[in-house]
Amino acid sequence: MTSVIEVKSLTKRYRDTLAVDDISFSIEKDTIYGLLGRNGAGKTTVMSILTAQNFATRGEVRVFGEDPYENAHVLSRMCFVRESQKYPEDATPRHAFRIARLFFPNWDQDFAERLIAEFQLPLKKTIKKLSRGQLSAVGVIIGLAARAEITFFDEPYLGLDAVARQIFYDRLLEDYAEHPRTVILSSHLIDEVANLLERVIVIDHGRIVMDEDTEAVRDRAANIVGDTAAVEAFVAGREVIHRESLGRVSSVTVLGALSAADRAEIADAGLDVTPVSLQQLIVRSTQHSADAGLEEGALR
Amino acid sequence: MNRTWNVVRMQLVNKQTYIAVPVIVLAGAFVITLAIYGIIASAGVEGPMYGGGAQAPLWYFAVVGAQALTLTFPFSQAMSVTRRAFYLGTLLTAVMTAAILAVIFVLGGLLEQATGGWGMNGYFFYLPWIWEAGPAGGGLFFFTLALLFFVVGFWGATIFKRWGTAVLTTVILAIALVLVGVLWLIGRLEAWGEVGAWLMTSGAAGLSLWGLVLVAVLAGTSYLTLRRSTP
Repeated sequence: MTSVIEVKSLTKRYRDTLAVDDISFSIEKDTIYGLLGRNGAGKTTVMSILTAQNFATRGEVRVFGEDPYENAHVLSRMCFVRESQKYPEDATPRHAFRIARLFFPNWDQDFAERLIAEFQLPLKKTIKKLSRGQLSAVGVIIGLAARAEITFFDEPYLGLDAVARQIFYDRLLEDYAEHPRTVILSSHLIDEVANLLERVIVIDHGRIVMDEDTEAVRDRAANIVGDTAAVEAFVAGREVIHRESLGRVSSVTVLGALSAADRAEIADAGLDVTPVSLQQLIVRSTQHSADAGLEEGALR
Repeated sequence: MNRTWNVVRMQLVNKQTYIAVPVIVLAGAFVITLAIYGIIASAGVEGPMYGGGAQAPLWYFAVVGAQALTLTFPFSQAMSVTRRAFYLGTLLTAVMTAAILAVIFVLGGLLEQATGGWGMNGYFFYLPWIWEAGPAGGGLFFFTLALLFFVVGFWGATIFKRWGTAVLTTVILAIALVLVGVLWLIGRLEAWGEVGAWLMTSGAAGLSLWGLVLVAVLAGTSYLTLRRSTP
């Protein structure tokens, strides 16, 4: 694997808030990444700095091995339409696409037109009069049709209805299969995009709390469901991150991959294993680390 | 260079901003001015009549200059354009449109001279003081003025974008204070006569050259501000 983005000790401080706190990571070529985290976690800031739209306070960013700032050669291979993107005064979607066609060397006009029809996007309305969903569609169409080597999608589903969201996910996967590229999709709704992601980077309070293959994350924990006494017997001594019970039935989420022996034990005890959703796991492990931090703080 | 030229095309994609609206403003001011001249002429006034309506599209240039930055700059960032290419392309657009406007003014002025002020001794484009150095001098004056308006709008918007309203207001007040100080100093030195004489001798063409110096200063400082601006 070759990496297309390398980030070392990146820090971004706005006057009194630390938006990004000394993070390092790399992005591999031709992979779909999820940049996940709560609102205000620092996702958009990170993407802005990677595309040289914003500036790091400290640290180093390399894209295709070079500094992206004022680097036309590097920038022209990236596309980042932000969630709150501004458009020229009185511009219509038609104007925006005509301009995008000028700047993105791999722009596919047929693909753009197909997407416009599927999203039922009005082309002649000015962009400032579009609904939130239509505004998201403009950004999504530019991101997809630009076919940039590194494409960022910033909360692309905002305001889109269920049909439009599915169209986006389907077209993204189809086009990715035909034209592999690096996609970085930011989202605070994790399960919404979980099936697309090959790798997840979770960012919380400006720090990376998880950077793993999606499959590995899914294997990291399991729900053990069944009779409370049997469940408790099985999970004794294991790291439990969540407990739910209803009457005599419990569902307990334990960290750690299950071995063959574990699975045999579960079957013998008449228990069931259900997969943990990516969202549950990330929410619980980030809560977990936040709680741990709290306890640690209380102990000091 | 290709991407810089694409910035020009980006600025001109929406024909309304750079072409339709200025033409409407100019045509509107022109028609209204001529109608007023017509009323005055029909009252038996001989003229010559001069008006200030021709400056209307120039003010619009300041608005375009500001919008080119506040709205089109963030979009250019999403189009992966460097700040340098955006800056050069946008200024090139301004130079081109200011040149077109100057040509319209010169042609209009020549037409007015040929027709004796539309047959009623009323002038919209032609002003004797501006045309002292001939059509080229007049053209240079309007070109500079249009470009200056654009650059002032652009310059103000870069400061606003990077540091916000408070800083922009402070800078404008500081400049106003300096100007008041200069006026006071001229009065104190009893130099108004010399200033007037200097204005007369430099003429419109000479002032245009000073205007271009001011354009260069404002454009240069805008670039330094823009280099570290975020969308």
